[in-house]
Amino acid sequence: MFRRFMVVLGMVIGLAAVGCGPGAPTTAPLTRLTVGLGFTPSVQFAQFYRAQQQGYYRAAGLDVTFQNEIDPNLITLLGQGAVDIGMADGTSVIPAVGQGIPIRYAATIYARFPSIVMVAADSGIASAVDLRGRKVGIPGQYGSSWIMLQALLASGGLSPSDLTLQPFPEYGQEIALQQGLVDAATGFRNNEPVKLALQGFPTTILDIDQITPLPGPGLTVGEATLASKRDAVRAFVAATLRAMTEISADPEAGLDDAIAVVPELGSDRTTQLAILEATIDMWRSPYTDAHGLGAIDGGAWAESLDFMRGLPESNIPASLTADQLVTSEVLP
Amino acid sequence: MKSRWSHWASVVLPVAAAAVVFVAAWKAIVLIANYPDWFLPAPEVVAQRFAQAWLDGTMWRHASATLVEIGLGFVVGAGLAVAVGYLLARSRLAERLLSPYLVAAQATPILVLAPLFVVWLGTGLAAKVVICALIVFFPVAVATMVGIRSVDARLLELGRSLRASHWQVVRHLELPAALPQILGGMRIGVTLAVIGAIVGEWAGADRGLGVLINLARGSLFDFPLMFATLATIAGIAVLLYLVVVLVERALVGAWR
Repeated sequence: MFRRFMVVLGMVIGLAAVGCGPGAPTTAPLTRLTVGLGFTPSVQFAQFYRAQQQGYYRAAGLDVTFQNEIDPNLITLLGQGAVDIGMADGTSVIPAVGQGIPIRYAATIYARFPSIVMVAADSGIASAVDLRGRKVGIPGQYGSSWIMLQALLASGGLSPSDLTLQPFPEYGQEIALQQGLVDAATGFRNNEPVKLALQGFPTTILDIDQITPLPGPGLTVGEATLASKRDAVRAFVAATLRAMTEISADPEAGLDDAIAVVPELGSDRTTQLAILEATIDMWRSPYTDAHGLGAIDGGAWAESLDFMRGLPESNIPASLTADQLVTSEVLP
Repeated sequence: MKSRWSHWASVVLPVAAAAVVFVAAWKAIVLIANYPDWFLPAPEVVAQRFAQAWLDGTMWRHASATLVEIGLGFVVGAGLAVAVGYLLARSRLAERLLSPYLVAAQATPILVLAPLFVVWLGTGLAAKVVICALIVFFPVAVATMVGIRSVDARLLELGRSLRASHWQVVRHLELPAALPQILGGMRIGVTLAVIGAIVGEWAGADRGLGVLINLARGSLFDFPLMFATLATIAGIAVLLYLVVVLVERALVGAWR
């Protein structure tokens, strides 16, 4: 009797110890990932919030923490390995790798370049050539919008010296355009023009998608992280792409998840939903339609590299190739 | 001859020794931690980039813009501060009326105010001059007020007994007596003017050392250039501080 009791007791203790009783949760250790998003929490990061809220990251064995950083900080933190994965501008990855920062662009999030020039719909400005002699509001002569502007102007045989540039580092160019202080302004297709349209100020957008296929923001990883947490990064990318697919089909659900993480977004659902829908449009291009969300267009990267190398202030070495900038090894 | 050598040694050697220790410690940290240039460039890498940026004209193009902003901002800010500081020292009513606003203006972060000035005054020189002037104003105004108030009452009594006019008292008694304190405030003000110019450039500019830092950090990821720009900014601040010290020595010596 005692022996039977001891056998049963041993089995109970054994089962409890390994945690494999009926319905017991998995106790496999989660891999921690620090993920850098843009400077401020925004509905534009809804896919990450959804994957977190719906438990896709945890189900993939990941313990994800979000951190908001401006792009230049994020790039160096990725290089150090202080941040594992970040939403970095493709146009920042190119000079950063050129300067020896060990990072790779691993998945496309914005398949179309979000930075654009916007003008009032009734301005009569319809193409880059029409910008000659105009006053254009910009955040500054740096970053992705500056590169976009140079590409756009070059398509019309112009350069920045053909314009009057008006810097607005606090991103006040949207208001300046509305108030008529400038003739045109740089902005993000999924932000300022959407808000202006909702305020009854329709705009015409000049973009560079058909001119120079600059790489938009995407998931970027440090080389060291890629080596040490490859499977975790792959799982993160897959969970994020799953959330993007779901949000594309049901933007309202994506907005709900974003509001759950950033409650302030709920104060104006109409605007936030419009921004999210415009963001979803940016996730897709003919290339990702053919190769799947997240796919990296190596040919477009090579073209962008050539373009950026030719810019006046470029410090990108001639030896840098597109293969050194991107990796497809963590894509599904 | 010996005393000149010992004076030179006592002034220059400690400065040189501190610089050598600083650079050696910097180099040691880079070597021991094996930091790459994009994290912490070694001193010789920064020195090389510094020389290159000055030789190819990059640094001067931006530094000249910043120097103009600092110069104008300091002159405007310090000039107004001396006048207002005198008023505060000699009028209790003015002190009661103005002090809360002066303290509030000083306590409000210039980083918050700078974009407002750019919106109100545009992205040209005017906004930077106002930002510089604002940041310079408080230390100089307070130093002036303290200096004027500390003028020996017997000195003023003597002036009155000699039937000196108000302007003569100000010019020949009060200002010379308060000059060490006023120039002490200007020493602080001139270094703050450098900060004001950089903050003003961050709020909106296409030239200036603040712009070059943004370019180096945000577009080019050229960290040696960023450090070279920081070194230039520090150099300008030290140089301007020394100028005020030299002016102080010349003026205080002459007026005493």
